[in-house]
Amino acid sequence: MSKLLIVDDEQDVREFAKNFFVKRNIDVRTAPGGAEALKLIDEDKPDLVLLDVRMGDMTGIEVLQELRAKGSDVKVIMVTGVEDQDVIDEAKSLGVVNYVHKPLALDELEQIVLSQLN
Amino acid sequence: MQLNYKKELENASRSMILVQDPKVLIRLIIRLIVRKVKADHAGILLYDHEKDSYVLTISGGKTGLKIPPGFAKFGKGNSLIKIFTDKKFRPFFQGQNTLIVDDLNKMVWQQGVIGDEKEIKETLHDVGCQMAMFNVVACVPAYFRDNLLALLLLGKKSTSDIQYNEEEMDFLSALASDVAMAIQNAQLIDDLRKEVERNKSLFINTVLSLASTIEAKDKYTRGHTERVTKYSLMIADELIRSKAIDLPKSFRENLYIAGLLHDIGKIGVPENVLRKESGLTDEEFSQIKEHPIHGAEILKNLPEFEQCLEGVKFHHERYDGRGYPQGLKGDEIPVIAAVVAVADTYDAMTSDRTYRKALPKEAAIQEIEKNAGIQFNPIAAKAFVDLCSRQEI
Repeated sequence: MSKLLIVDDEQDVREFAKNFFVKRNIDVRTAPGGAEALKLIDEDKPDLVLLDVRMGDMTGIEVLQELRAKGSDVKVIMVTGVEDQDVIDEAKSLGVVNYVHKPLALDELEQIVLSQLN
Repeated sequence: MQLNYKKELENASRSMILVQDPKVLIRLIIRLIVRKVKADHAGILLYDHEKDSYVLTISGGKTGLKIPPGFAKFGKGNSLIKIFTDKKFRPFFQGQNTLIVDDLNKMVWQQGVIGDEKEIKETLHDVGCQMAMFNVVACVPAYFRDNLLALLLLGKKSTSDIQYNEEEMDFLSALASDVAMAIQNAQLIDDLRKEVERNKSLFINTVLSLASTIEAKDKYTRGHTERVTKYSLMIADELIRSKAIDLPKSFRENLYIAGLLHDIGKIGVPENVLRKESGLTDEEFSQIKEHPIHGAEILKNLPEFEQCLEGVKFHHERYDGRGYPQGLKGDEIPVIAAVVAVADTYDAMTSDRTYRKALPKEAAIQEIEKNAGIQFNPIAAKAFVDLCSRQEI
């Protein structure tokens, strides 16, 4: 079973997205912030991370930087709230496999996630 | 206990009148649905012009079930939207507005009777999948005319597995039309506000171009109009701040226009007189002195200028009654004109003329102070001097 880690500081989003992907036979973990996410990536080795850019403790970009600095090449899909080109460029340079904007078209998100997991 | 839907609806309608922001109203309605109709979650898709799609904007109910606000959007081509907007699907609803998950199966069966269009079958199937994906068992559209403005998505009832009954669906349908009405009203108010803004900016731009015509004719007024307007508004703000005098709300706005147009009557003064570099004859001076009257004549037929007309007509009156055109005295001179008079005189004194050099700033301020109650309205003069002493002018 593929493993997906959802990182978002909003509980509603985490729960909803978790239910959404569990129904698609994916093993889903969630993290409310960067520190927890880094820990879970280390321990759990997810196949894919859905990473929100704006969070309480650290930004998604900072999480990515730390991951890459540690040599992790885990696949990451960045979730941004606004179409901020600087953030997108930065995320691309840190090797994200894709990025999506909130609000999301869920069928597209599903496709993007499934295509990365298969 | 049976819920009195009629009463709840009346309450909702009452809130609708009190609440102008449609989002606040929709939040109230979602809360009502979750608490009173006992849906385990409910959310609403609102049409977003900018994104040209429907965005899940407000939701309520159980965490994990409810769709997080601002998280999901649905394009116009999405089946869940299409089934409510594409006329092709109207017959399936059989006069009903709402869609309950069980009806979908009936629709598919019906579709078999009507024909076997692949697209319809696929759309209905996809609607079912999406409803399952969002844990939604009923959808209630909100239309204005034929436009789908919003779509209510409802989870199953938290009390039992029993479906929503007809009375509940009617109630939800009525709530949805309240939502549509609220959105439509907010849109109308917004359009109206934009229209007012547009008219206002057209008005101001017209005034500005009118004011620039006189600057084109008389080079000495170049920059003068702008400065007089600026000083006038500063004096007005000082009067308001110090509560020296009671001023109507529209005073500042009228003063702004009066400042811009105070010399507009110079259009009616011959150019050779305006541009004369040596001393003026009595005849020429009396021609110049007619500019406030010319100005008032130019503006008199425009009702929008009624209030500022006095500022234009009387800005050369003196507090002691020795001014022109009418020789008004003391409080007979409207405050708007008294303010422009101080600003106008100060700027004239501190600007170079061909026949004399500009006075230093301090000397001009002293002159205003000395003439308070003689040439100038003492309250307006004091406000000006106070501004100067605080180095604001």
